[in-house]
Amino acid sequence: MVAPGDTALSLRDIDKVFPGVKALDSVSFDLRAGEVHVLLGENGAGKSTLMKILSGIYAPDGGEIRIGGEPVPRLTPETASAHRIGMVHQELCLVPQMSVAENILLGQMPKTGLGAIDWPQARRLASKVLDRLGVSLDPKREVGELEVAEQQLVEIAKVLSREPRIILLDEPTSALSDAERHRLFDVIKTLTQEGVGIIYISHHLSEVPMIGDRVSVLRDGKMVGTLPARDVPEAELVTMMVGRAVESQFQRHRGEPKATALEARGLSLRGHFDNLDFKVRYGEVLGIFGLMGAGQAELVRVLFGLTRPTAGQLLVDGEPQNFTGPSDAIAKGLALIYRDRRESLVPLMPPGPNMSLAWLSDKPPWARLERARERDEIKNYIGSMNIEPPLPDREIMFFSGGNQQKVVLSRWMSSGSRILIFDEPARGIDVGAKAQVFALMDGLAAEGAAIIMVSSEPAELSGMADRTLVMRKGQLATQLMNEHTNHQTLLSHAG
Amino acid sequence: MATTEPSSDKAARYSGTTRKDTLNRWLTRSGPLLALLAMCLILSLVSPFFFTTDNITNITRQTAFVALLAIGQTFVILTGGIDLSVAAIAALSACVAAVLMTQPIELFGIGLGPFPPVLAMLIGVLVGVMAGAFNGIIIARFGVPDFIVTLGTMTILRGLALLVTGGFPVPSFRAGPDAVPLPDFLIWAGTGSIFGIPVAALIALLVMAIAWWVLRYTAFGRATFAVGGNRQAARIAGIKVGQTKVLVYAVSGLCAAIAGIVMVGRLSSANALMGEGDELRSIASVVVGGTHLFGGQGGVVGSVIGALIIGVLGNGLNLLDVSPFWQRIAQGAVIILVVVLDYWRRSDSQK
Repeated sequence: MVAPGDTALSLRDIDKVFPGVKALDSVSFDLRAGEVHVLLGENGAGKSTLMKILSGIYAPDGGEIRIGGEPVPRLTPETASAHRIGMVHQELCLVPQMSVAENILLGQMPKTGLGAIDWPQARRLASKVLDRLGVSLDPKREVGELEVAEQQLVEIAKVLSREPRIILLDEPTSALSDAERHRLFDVIKTLTQEGVGIIYISHHLSEVPMIGDRVSVLRDGKMVGTLPARDVPEAELVTMMVGRAVESQFQRHRGEPKATALEARGLSLRGHFDNLDFKVRYGEVLGIFGLMGAGQAELVRVLFGLTRPTAGQLLVDGEPQNFTGPSDAIAKGLALIYRDRRESLVPLMPPGPNMSLAWLSDKPPWARLERARERDEIKNYIGSMNIEPPLPDREIMFFSGGNQQKVVLSRWMSSGSRILIFDEPARGIDVGAKAQVFALMDGLAAEGAAIIMVSSEPAELSGMADRTLVMRKGQLATQLMNEHTNHQTLLSHAG
Repeated sequence: MATTEPSSDKAARYSGTTRKDTLNRWLTRSGPLLALLAMCLILSLVSPFFFTTDNITNITRQTAFVALLAIGQTFVILTGGIDLSVAAIAALSACVAAVLMTQPIELFGIGLGPFPPVLAMLIGVLVGVMAGAFNGIIIARFGVPDFIVTLGTMTILRGLALLVTGGFPVPSFRAGPDAVPLPDFLIWAGTGSIFGIPVAALIALLVMAIAWWVLRYTAFGRATFAVGGNRQAARIAGIKVGQTKVLVYAVSGLCAAIAGIVMVGRLSSANALMGEGDELRSIASVVVGGTHLFGGQGGVVGSVIGALIIGVLGNGLNLLDVSPFWQRIAQGAVIILVVVLDYWRRSDSQK
C-alpha cells in the first residue's frame, strides 16, 4: 500500500518516436500519491502521447516506468488497469444506446447466481459512484439523451467505479459549466485525500493554482520543468510552454468599420433560434456569445449555407441571398473556421490540397487544378504562419490542432474571403497558436474583412470583439460594446 | 506576432525518421506492382507455358474487361461508395448496342433498319452513363446507402438487358432475314492486336491514362478524393458532394459500357447475363490495387495492376492444373491476404 506523499508513479527518460517526429525526448515525470500534478504544454508538445503511454496504448521506445516503486516492463491497457490506472479521455468513449449504469459498469456488470445481469444491483452500484461525484443522474437513462457535460461526468464515474489509484484526466472541464467544474474539483480533492494520485491535463492556466499541487510543462517533446503549482505566475507558465515571452494574446489594430457586409433580418431556424436581426460591417469583429444550446451553433450553420433558415432573410453587401450550400456562401466571400476541425480538413490530404479545396467551389468539374499556385502558396503560408512541421507533403492528420487551424485559415485567406465566421476558433488550441490565430484575425479585420466570432470564452470576446451579441434560448438578449464586454455582463445576459 | 522559435532545434525534431518514412511510402505505392512481378517470376519458373507470347496476350485480353470495370469502380470507391451494378451496366450497354446494330427495329409503326454501328455503340455508352448517373442521383438525393442502391440497380439492369434481348444471345438466330452481323471493327477491338498487343488491352490502358489524368489534374478528381477522405470537410470547403457522387457513378457507368462493348467484340455476341460476378472481381481489383475501401486514398493504376494480379493468378492456377474448385478458394484467400497485409502496414505507418 502506498502512503500519501510516496511516489505512486515515476517515468525515467521516456522516448517515443513516430514517423517524422520525436514525440517524446527523454521525458522524466513523477506522481506522488494524494497529489494533483498538472501537465501543461501546447498541442503537439507530447502530452497526449505521454498519456497514451501511461494508459498502455502506446509502447515507449525507451526509458523506464515504475508504478509504486516496481518497474513495469510492459504496460498494456490490461496491465494499466490491473495497476489501477484510470484514464478519462478528452473525447468521450461511451455507448450512446446504453444506459448510464451500463456505461459506468461496462465490462464489470454484477451477475446473479444464475449468471444473468443483476440489474437492481447494477443501478445501486452506479448510483453510489454518481453520488460520490455529487451528480443526480438516473442510472436508467440512455446516455445518448444526456447533455455533453452529463456525459463527461458519466465518463468520470466510469473510471471511478474501478477504484483507481492513479487517474489521468485529459481536459476534463472542456464541456463543463462553472458550477459543474467546481463540483469536479471537490471530487478531485476528496480523491486525493484518499491517496489517489491525479495527473491533470488542461489548457486553462487559471485552473493550475485552483487544483494543482505541482505543475510540469512539456514543450516540443521535452520536459521543460516542474514547479509547485500554488504560486507560480501565469506568465511564467506561458513562457515555459511557448519558449518565449508572450506579451498579450489579443491585438487590436483596427480602424473605423466600413459598409455593412452581412445582415440578418428576422432570421429564424425553428427549434433553435428565432427572429434574429443583426449586422456586421467590414473592418470589425462581431462577437456572438451564448451558453451551450443557445442557438449560436445553428446560427453559424445557417449563415454559411449548411442549414436552410425556416424564415427571415440573409443579406450580403445589401443583396438578399438564398444559399443552397456552402459553395454559394463561399462564392459570396464567406468563410467558416468551424468549431470541429475534424469536420474541416481531409485527414489524408497534405496541407496544400486541404488549403486549395475551397478554390474549387466555383469551378466546373473539368477545371484544371492550380497545382503550381497551390505549391507556392502553401510554402508561403507555412513560412509566414509558422506551420509545424514545415513539411508540405505530410498528411494533415499528423499535424497538431493549432497547426491544423492555421491551414484552415490559409484556405480562406488564399480564397480571398471577405466575411469570416470564426466558430470557437481557439477550442483545443494552445496558448501560442491561440495568440497567432487571434493576431491573424485582427490582421484580417484591419485589412477590411468582416469577422463574426462565436465563442463561449468571455476572455476571448472581451479581448477581440468590437461588439458582442449575447444569445439566450434562441433570442438576442442584448448587444454589448467592447468596453462593457466582460465575464459578468456576458454571463448575466446569457443565463 | 513575432516568432523566434529555435528553428534548428525544430528541424532536428522532425527530420529524424523521414528516410524510413519515404521508404515506407514507396513500398505502400509500389506494393501491388511488386506482388504482380513476383507472381509472374514464380510462374515463369514453375511453368514453361506461362511466359509465352500467346499466354501473356491471352491474359491481357481477358483482364481488359475487369480492368475497365475496375477503373470506373476506383472513382466510386475513392468517394467511399461501392458500385455493385458495374457488370450489369456492362451487359445492358452491350446488349443495347448489339441489338441496335444487328436487328431492325420498329418504333411507333415506323420500321427502322439496323442502326449504323457507331451510332449503336454511342447509344450503348449513353445508356451506361445514364444508368450510372441514376445510381448517383438516388444516392445523393435520397441518402440511401450506395451498397443498397447499386444492389437494387444490379438486378434491375439485368432485367432490362433480358427484356432488350428477349433472353437470347445477340446476334440472334431468331432475328429474321433483315438482321446484319456484327461489324468487323468491333470484332477486331475484341480480338485483334496492334504490334502484338491486344486492342482490348490498349483500350483499357488508354482509359486508365485518361482516368489517371482526370484524378490528378482536374477539380473533379480532387473533389473525388476529398469526398471520400472526409465528406463533411469537403462540404464545408465548398465541394458539391452530391454532384461529385453523381459524376463518379456516371464515370463508373461509362467505363462499364466501354467494357461491355469491347466484350461483345471478343465474344462476337452479347447476352444479358454476361460478366456475372465480375462486379465483385472489379471491387477486388481496386482493393488489391491499394485503394482504401473506405475512400480518400488510391488510384486507377493500382486498380489495373490489381486486375492483372487476379488475372495472372487465375491463369497460373490453370496452367498448374489446379482444380477449379481449389482455384476459387485460392483467389478468395489471396484477396483477403493482400488486404490484411495492406491494413496491417497502413495501421503500422500511422501509429
